[in-house]
Amino acid sequence: MIMRSGQQLLLPANPVFIWSSLIAALLLDMLPLGRVPWMPDFLALVLVFWNVHQPLRVGIGVAFMFGLGVDVHQSSLLGQHALSYTALSFFATMIHRRLLWFTVPSQALQVLPLFAVAHGVELVIRMIGGGIFPGWNMLLAPLIEAFLWPVVSVLLLVPQRRAPDRDENRPL
Amino acid sequence: MPLGTLDRSPPPFFKQGPSALSKLMFFSALSLFLMVADTRFRITQPVRAVLATALYPVQWVALQPVRAIRGSGEYFTTLSQAKLASEEASRKLAQQSLRAGQVEQLTQENNRLRKLLGLREQLGTTVMAAEVLYDAADPYTRKVIIDKGLAQGVDLGSPVLDESGVLGQVTRVHPLVSEVTLLVDRDLAIPVLNVRTGARSVAYGDPAASGSGLELRFMGSNSDVQQGDLLTTSGVDGVYPPGLPVARISRIERRAESAFAKIFCTPQALVTGARHVMVVKPGTGLIPPRPEATPEAVPKKKEKGAAK
Repeated sequence: MIMRSGQQLLLPANPVFIWSSLIAALLLDMLPLGRVPWMPDFLALVLVFWNVHQPLRVGIGVAFMFGLGVDVHQSSLLGQHALSYTALSFFATMIHRRLLWFTVPSQALQVLPLFAVAHGVELVIRMIGGGIFPGWNMLLAPLIEAFLWPVVSVLLLVPQRRAPDRDENRPL
Repeated sequence: MPLGTLDRSPPPFFKQGPSALSKLMFFSALSLFLMVADTRFRITQPVRAVLATALYPVQWVALQPVRAIRGSGEYFTTLSQAKLASEEASRKLAQQSLRAGQVEQLTQENNRLRKLLGLREQLGTTVMAAEVLYDAADPYTRKVIIDKGLAQGVDLGSPVLDESGVLGQVTRVHPLVSEVTLLVDRDLAIPVLNVRTGARSVAYGDPAASGSGLELRFMGSNSDVQQGDLLTTSGVDGVYPPGLPVARISRIERRAESAFAKIFCTPQALVTGARHVMVVKPGTGLIPPRPEATPEAVPKKKEKGAAK
């Protein structure tokens, strides 16, 4: 595998950790905080992260299934989030070989259009379906998601960054 | 380095499954099909019911922190606030006791008069108490989720009330929860009666983004409406029981260029913060079916023409 110079060799990802992080993101999305248009979609963020880092484990089909779950929970149009997550996951798979060559802040800049496209897909579908326009502050949602990208890429890589041999003098 | 610290399985060069583009096409087509099936044909209810039941444990976990915060907030309500509330309640009770005494007598009198007239007696309604679990996070509609579903016998289309008026209508029933569309949703319409004048009309949800009101459409600009008029359910639809308060008229705009007045109303129920609600059985089974239109209207005309 060709890697960027200075990049740390990572441990293999634990499938249990991948799935539990996805479920935790779903839980965060399900917190009953009311109708907030600028609320970032944590599940979309974690899905893109695993699509980029583990494209063989978390693919478009997983994104579609989670989208259906969010649709039922929000009692929105069935298939609305499924379509937007499918598109999101497709674009993430398209850029996953290139993205990891960049530093984390510029990665955040590159995933911003992905989130914008996902929210745009939802908006267009609901406007065609005759929904209420939720207000301009929904434009903040993809921005917040892109700002959270560095946080997520630190948090979700922590288990893979542990030392292969435990050392008393070097805990991490 | 010990074994298992690096991913040693070789990447599959030839068995990669379908390409990302074909997956995208397949799942997009599937979700488009689901959307059309959901909006046009209304056949996705089983899918929704299965997914909703599967998601119920996760939803329950997500609700716990909010419930805990709510509970602790109520626990720390100070004594003075409780005292104030009790004083207010006893004052209200004194005001209402007079009316309550009259109501018994009026009901009796009304019953007798109805019997005299040979009218059907006022229909009794069966109600069920429910709790609002959460506001649906979908920003494109105005819906809430309540904790009673098919298992508790909630019917599709049941009116939902809170303590001060009509809140909305049950639009989807899942096995354990159901979904209530609020009055202020732009797709919900409710037949109302102006208590002061007795004029019937239909109130629609406000289509604006920050909409938390209702609108009376197609009322002529010379119609008799005043600010502060109370609108109640008229009962002509057979769904809502008659006489429940719905909204109060808050603003009337009469414009020279339009034949209709723009009438805005504020709902009486607490649409943004209701917690305990009542689900009423819809009265649709109690009204006689609509007489069928005679299908031979066209041939009859022809016969008439032939006879001439």
